[in-house]
Amino acid sequence: MKKKSILKKGYGWINERFKIDDLINFMKKKEVPLYHGTIWYYFGGISLLLFIIQVVTGMLLLLYYKGSAELAFESVQFISAKVKFGWLIRSIHSWSANLMVLAAFIHMFSVFFTKAYKKPRELTWYSGFILLALAMAFGFTGYLLPWNELSLFATKVGTDIPKAIPLIGGFIMNILRGGEEVTGSTLSRFFGFHVALLPGIFTLVLTMHLIFIQRQGMSAPENWDELPEKNKKKIPFFPNFLLRDLLIWLIIINVLSVLAVFFPWELGVKADELAPAPAGIKPEWYFLFMFQTLKIIPSQILVMDGEVFGVLLFSIAGLLWFLVPLWDRKTKTGEKRYWLTYAGIFAIIYIIIFTIIGFIAK
Amino acid sequence: MIEVPEYTGKKSRRDFLNYVLSIGFFGWIGAILYPLYSYLVPPKSPDVDTSNISIGKESEMENNSSKMFKIGNKPGILIKTNEGELKALSATCTHLDCTVQFKKDENLIWCACHNGKYDLNGINISGPPPKPLTKFNVVVQKDEIYVQK
Amino acid sequence: MIIRKKNNRIFILLILLVINPAIIFSQEIESKDACFNCHGILEGRLKTPSDMYKSDIHFRKGIACSACHGGDSKEEDQDKSMSKTAGFIGIPRGLQVSKICAKCHSKEFETLSKSVHGQSSTGSGLIINNCITCHGVHNIIPVKSPGSKVNGANIVSTCAGCHSNASLMKNYNPGLKVDQLDKYKTSVHGQKVFSGDSKAANCASCHGNHDVKKVNDLNSKVYISNIPTTCNKCHGDANYMKEYKIPTDQYEKFKKSVHGVALLEKGDVNAPSCNKCHGDHGASPPEVESISKVCGTCHVLNSQLFQESPHKPAFDKEKIHECSACHNNHDISTPTDEMLGSGEKSVCIKCHKQNDKGFETAVKMKFMIDSLQKDVELANYFINAAEQKGMDVSDAKFESNDIKKVLITSRTSSHYADLEKYINTINEGFKITSKAKLEGEEAVKEYYFRRLGLGISTIFITIICVTLYLKLRKIEKKQKT
Repeated sequence: MKKKSILKKGYGWINERFKIDDLINFMKKKEVPLYHGTIWYYFGGISLLLFIIQVVTGMLLLLYYKGSAELAFESVQFISAKVKFGWLIRSIHSWSANLMVLAAFIHMFSVFFTKAYKKPRELTWYSGFILLALAMAFGFTGYLLPWNELSLFATKVGTDIPKAIPLIGGFIMNILRGGEEVTGSTLSRFFGFHVALLPGIFTLVLTMHLIFIQRQGMSAPENWDELPEKNKKKIPFFPNFLLRDLLIWLIIINVLSVLAVFFPWELGVKADELAPAPAGIKPEWYFLFMFQTLKIIPSQILVMDGEVFGVLLFSIAGLLWFLVPLWDRKTKTGEKRYWLTYAGIFAIIYIIIFTIIGFIAK
Repeated sequence: MIEVPEYTGKKSRRDFLNYVLSIGFFGWIGAILYPLYSYLVPPKSPDVDTSNISIGKESEMENNSSKMFKIGNKPGILIKTNEGELKALSATCTHLDCTVQFKKDENLIWCACHNGKYDLNGINISGPPPKPLTKFNVVVQKDEIYVQK
Repeated sequence: MIIRKKNNRIFILLILLVINPAIIFSQEIESKDACFNCHGILEGRLKTPSDMYKSDIHFRKGIACSACHGGDSKEEDQDKSMSKTAGFIGIPRGLQVSKICAKCHSKEFETLSKSVHGQSSTGSGLIINNCITCHGVHNIIPVKSPGSKVNGANIVSTCAGCHSNASLMKNYNPGLKVDQLDKYKTSVHGQKVFSGDSKAANCASCHGNHDVKKVNDLNSKVYISNIPTTCNKCHGDANYMKEYKIPTDQYEKFKKSVHGVALLEKGDVNAPSCNKCHGDHGASPPEVESISKVCGTCHVLNSQLFQESPHKPAFDKEKIHECSACHNNHDISTPTDEMLGSGEKSVCIKCHKQNDKGFETAVKMKFMIDSLQKDVELANYFINAAEQKGMDVSDAKFESNDIKKVLITSRTSSHYADLEKYINTINEGFKITSKAKLEGEEAVKEYYFRRLGLGISTIFITIICVTLYLKLRKIEKKQKT
């Protein structure tokens, strides 16, 4: 009984000042549709959890990491070897980064297939897409920070691609690299992006994304409105869905620890800017499908340079994907369009296949 | 709704569940806080600065003596000359990578492997070494000796 | 006597005519080269060239004075023969001399120009880029003739004429030593040459003749890594060396040796070439008793320890070659631990027999170094195991640098042939290996600690998950009612 009164007292104290009663009441009413696709609702939360983990482990790493070309590698080695549990924090950070991008992709595709981007949730979709892009940017910039051989060359290859953009490509590459080549200046720049610029923008966009979701509630599947009332199974967000979320979160945290212990992230060899590239340099897996696609495009397509064509292709595809709420409207007769679903399936299969090819290829 | 007291059985089970949950929860918090705390405490090993190594106290070093230290992953040698001057050099012989030593009586640096000799500035003066030893900067602050690359 | 008869007069006339041609003929040999003839009848300084020239090979080949001095050797009139219009240049000065020889001997001159002698010529003073400095002038005879200044027997004096003259050499290279001749006289080569054996090496045999280069010139025959090939030119030729009865396989052996590989394959110019141990100008094999001192110029500790060891007096007494008795001389290979002890490859058993003190010491030493070696391997094993498990072992690896040092020190101290000193050194080694082993073991322990920690937190998480799940079910049940 005493516990309750403390909580109630605390709540009363805040309520007196901020009048959150109606907010709380509103949120209490939030419900989550229960159907075969409910499982996909969790992935947004999973992405959020992983982001929080990234922020926490990232801040801890910042205590010991040194962002200059002379000291970066040694500082990461120091963290992994000498700092107590530094190995754990570092490996969790690296694994969580990959899992976060994976979860974000799954989340996006599940939203796509359940058509949750439709009115009134267009902005949620746009902000979500931006969040995905930012997450990949996080991954790209973070990958360079240990300053080992693999990351140096992956960054070289990765920053070479914008060069293909006509007119402004060289300028963009210069801005990214902090110069013509990937050097210590690139490292400083990427460090700034990774710990300051990107987190700032990400937090803003994430906050908006979350506010949108809380305000609008969970989206229901397409045929929800047609169902009779008694078949509309729902569970309250508080506490049911939240507890389930928590369960999954705990399991994921454990999974991360297991990964960190059994598959620790390797350190590699310190980057040497003067050394030639080792054979078979690849970017991280979430870029592989694009990388592999660019590799198989012939060097000349009609009048265009092959790489330019590839970049253009992906840009257009990305743009169309981004704008899907705009042009996925039901036809006047209310027929459902299946071709979009097929396009989505095609995208997933394409990504998976090319990622696998990217892994296997030498 | 009138609250009917539940069966003792169920109630004890609920309490038991909460009890276990609390234990689990606090245990888990502990399993998180303990590594966190250990992480925040700076480790005893010198920090990763490969360019600034703390060697020890100047007052504790005698004239005409030497001390070996580690810089990066390589050995280094710190010498305090007869006149009290501090010199720090790489201790890897430039001939075939043996570790050199300070020879007090001859006031020079000597490599036992093939009788290579260096003066106290690291210049190779006799024997096979083809190059001088790399010099490092020595800085003394408040009696603490620091060696920088 | 009055020659009355007409026939007799004709006879005498005929005879005179016959004799005359000889005179006329010889006068015609002389008179073909008017310069030679004319100068031949002059006096003093002007006569000397003609006198000398009689023995010159150029004269015997019919080359006239004008070939070098210009002018017209057919003209007897001095004004015409020594006129500028006829190309007369008088006594050639400075670099002109060699250019004149080069008119025919162009190849040699080109080689000479690129040599150190050619490069050091400055155009004033004694021109060392000057054919006549070594070959002489007006009396040049073939190299093979015993009187030639550049013949094997004489060339040493010719070279020494400048190279032993300190005040002369000062003008060209003050740092260059001038004791070559003195050293040479003590050498085996020198002794043979001065006693008439021209097969032995002289200055040109090693340094070249026209193509002498500075010692530190990579193309010089006596550049440190070229010396073995130069020496081998004679010393490897079994036929040539037949009468001297010394082995001719030194180069083959040296090529395979530690020093040979270092010098010829790895390019370490601090590795000894033939001259480092044998001397160059004073080339001779070191005396039996001085071998350890020679080796000791680089291998100081080994030499010192040996000289303080009981082996030294024993070796000297039996005239056993120091160092090379165990390590060989030309084919020195990397020493192994097998050289100690009583095994097949041991060098100790060459002299020591079972049950004598030396034998027992050798066996004990081998045992100790083997134990240390095993410990080193164990330490390395732990360190590698930890590294493969992903643990950091940079500290342990740094310590193991010292292991290398201690192994070297132990092996060196075996030269003292004293068990106690050896044991002390080996024990230092054990200290280091145990430290490295400890660090390796620590790393492995850490590896298992992590798994333990993981297990513990997994247990707690599982407890929470299970209870959460149960609580959830409970709540939902309650909600349904």
